[in-house]
Amino acid sequence: MSNIKNEALLKYGIPSLAIITIVMQLFFVHTKNLNKWKGGGYGMYSEIHYYYNQIYIPGISVDSLVKNDADMKATLGYLMLMPNEDSLKKAAELVLQTTEKDSIHIQIWKPTVDSKNGVYSRALIDEIYLKNSDL
Amino acid sequence: MRYWSDIKNTLNDNIEVATHLLLLMLGAYVFIMAENERLLKIPILFTGLLIWFLTCKKIKHPIIWITFFVLLFIDICYSYFWVANHHFMLMFMVLAIIFFNYHKRHEVLLKNVQILLFIVVITSVFQKLMSTQFMNGNFYYYMMNRGSIFGVFFNFLPENLELIKSNSESISVLHDTNPNNAESILLKDVFSNLGLISLIFAWTTVVVEFIVAITILWKPRSNGTHLFLTMMILGILCTRLETGFMALLAICGIFLCSNFKLKLLYIIIVIGCIALMVTKLGYH
Repeated sequence: MSNIKNEALLKYGIPSLAIITIVMQLFFVHTKNLNKWKGGGYGMYSEIHYYYNQIYIPGISVDSLVKNDADMKATLGYLMLMPNEDSLKKAAELVLQTTEKDSIHIQIWKPTVDSKNGVYSRALIDEIYLKNSDL
Repeated sequence: MRYWSDIKNTLNDNIEVATHLLLLMLGAYVFIMAENERLLKIPILFTGLLIWFLTCKKIKHPIIWITFFVLLFIDICYSYFWVANHHFMLMFMVLAIIFFNYHKRHEVLLKNVQILLFIVVITSVFQKLMSTQFMNGNFYYYMMNRGSIFGVFFNFLPENLELIKSNSESISVLHDTNPNNAESILLKDVFSNLGLISLIFAWTTVVVEFIVAITILWKPRSNGTHLFLTMMILGILCTRLETGFMALLAICGIFLCSNFKLKLLYIIIVIGCIALMVTKLGYH
């Protein structure tokens, strides 16, 4: 009996790790809005890359925010990869601290395209309003 | 003729050939990734390489594999959501080789590789089936109109390249506007009937990947299986230079394949991919 167990463990142990990784990725995709391109779930080329998502902050240039600021780059990059309430809040807090504004409004948009008529537009994924007094 | 029979002899042992190529690919990959978390990696790389270099013939432990595995694991710990999907697969394959060094059972290693390969390809199929954007052709339509796939071929088609540039410019102009105004643009198709082509291409991709996955599970050593797998790998490489991942899939093929010509084709693919990867023409 233990021989059979050892045999199964040797043959299927490592593949089981791969399945656990995939289950975890699907969990993050469905609960935290992780883009399928990442997380070990082999979902590349099944949806548009998160690189094409767009962060919109009224009155502020995102390019100038990330320029020479590794922390900002990482936080906003994380927001594009996994746009959810937590990542939006983290991004908003950092932008508020950096810009010293009273309040901030951040939106994350994704591209949408219709192959039947060629129309390209953007759809809102999520947004946050945060005041300095809320910090 | 003598060279030909020498090559045949060299390729006789699947596990040895595949392991050598995996180590080559692994070395290239970890050195490309080495600059991430470098302070942590330097002592590990230094100690691991030193022990391996001084004791490789005497020590029974696979020091070089363990060293590279630790480096891969560090990347997973620090950048779980940033590393490529094949980083995970590479780690599992290295783990299989480390275990093989202790149990020494060929059939166990080959079963590990076969099931891993099946899981990767079948998961890719299900991820696509679960994606409406992929199955209705919108994904390929967008990617082709932006030149994000088949980019190599578009360089030889100046008219189509102009359309791609025009689409990119239109998108860039749109991105400079407030998205709340709900403006949209019309993409120019790089080919006529691109909507239909994208839809057919999407379904073909899923069907081909599904056939490959099932044949790997059902008949892992069959020539037909490896013919499908090599065609799938070459097809993906034509679509986009995913050289790191494709090198790994081809190495899995070498582990399982017994046909000399197909093995040779896999080796050409792996070495070609590694050459493109290290020169940064392909993705790592």
